[in-house]
Amino acid sequence: MKSKRSVLTGWVVLGVVIASALTACGADEPAAPTPAAQPDAVQLGEVVTFPDLTRDHSEDDIDYPQSPPVGGDHDPAWLDCNGVVYDEPVRDENAVHSLEHGAVWITYQPDVDAGDIDELRAKVDGGQYIFMSPYPDQNAPIMATAWGVQLAVASADDAALADFVQEYSQGSQTPEPGATCDGGVML
Amino acid sequence: MTLDAATELDSVPPSADRPSAWLLVVAVIAALILGAVAGVLLLRPESTPGNASAEAGFARDMSVHHSQAVNMAFMVYDATEDEEIRRLAYDIINTQRAQIGMFSGWLQQWDLTQTSTAAPMAWADHSHEGPMVSYDDMPGMATDEQLAELEAASGVEAERLFLELMTEHHRGGVEMAEAVVPLTNREEVQRLAQTIVTGQSGEIEYMQDLLAERQ
Repeated sequence: MKSKRSVLTGWVVLGVVIASALTACGADEPAAPTPAAQPDAVQLGEVVTFPDLTRDHSEDDIDYPQSPPVGGDHDPAWLDCNGVVYDEPVRDENAVHSLEHGAVWITYQPDVDAGDIDELRAKVDGGQYIFMSPYPDQNAPIMATAWGVQLAVASADDAALADFVQEYSQGSQTPEPGATCDGGVML
Repeated sequence: MTLDAATELDSVPPSADRPSAWLLVVAVIAALILGAVAGVLLLRPESTPGNASAEAGFARDMSVHHSQAVNMAFMVYDATEDEEIRRLAYDIINTQRAQIGMFSGWLQQWDLTQTSTAAPMAWADHSHEGPMVSYDDMPGMATDEQLAELEAASGVEAERLFLELMTEHHRGGVEMAEAVVPLTNREEVQRLAQTIVTGQSGEIEYMQDLLAERQ
């Protein structure tokens, strides 16, 4: 069994060597130009990661470093987050608990285009592990936040937004897999 | 291929070009076959955990452990009107019940039975403690007497008893989840075990606060 495996390994190594040699031969075509770095203040369309977040329960008001917050200590009560559309800003401390349960939080600047808000509402309303609210203090028109990850986009139809929801709603970053979005508090 | 290169190739006499072209074709085919073999070997799913594996033992024992937590949470949910305690109970019921579904799903995917004849915690190699004969011997499990006491209690008495029993239960759950981490290299098992360690540790802290408010 062992010798069969080592013979196989030998063939694999040989194959890889030949394949790389051929690749190297074909590599004299000019390389595609590297796109210039985008020096935007708020990186639109890029998922930003925030590691090492604390997650204790606290009934105090908490001063979060991000707007909207991406995690950290939070209220013992989570905000109902199964497809709920909040038309007023929600309390950060409750919303962060919903992120811990695996929800994606869609937020928008109140003066964003009404058509965008309708489109977001259509995506969120009745969904699972997703909720939305206006967020006056954020630095991009539309943002999506899950525990430890955040995305900013300019419009509701940005494909990066749909990708974010698919990836992170109950995604592998969820600190409490299986926790519920029902039975919490509303606004 | 650029036009220049094509012209250059055409200008070379065919007789001189043939052998090296054939060699190239043979090399490409060989590389493709070897690449495919390498791909199959590298991407082949690892064999799944066996019946006596730590992963299977953890999934089975943790299901039993979680089930008792769910039952205790239902008891206190019925025994009090306190909003915070009921929300904690609701959270435990949903989260641990969903995780029981994950354990069960693993065992199904691994083509293993949901239960086994192995002694509780045998997978964790606690040989120095002697074999466990009952699931009640698993870390943090409440006894039948304690469960009866919780069932009979109401109001703040039930809340205190629940918080004490669930704290012990969570400590045991953390111990079991910590035990499986060094015994497995399966990502889904490590990830869920880690979330149980951090999640239940955090809930222990929270329950200490709730308990202090009720003394």
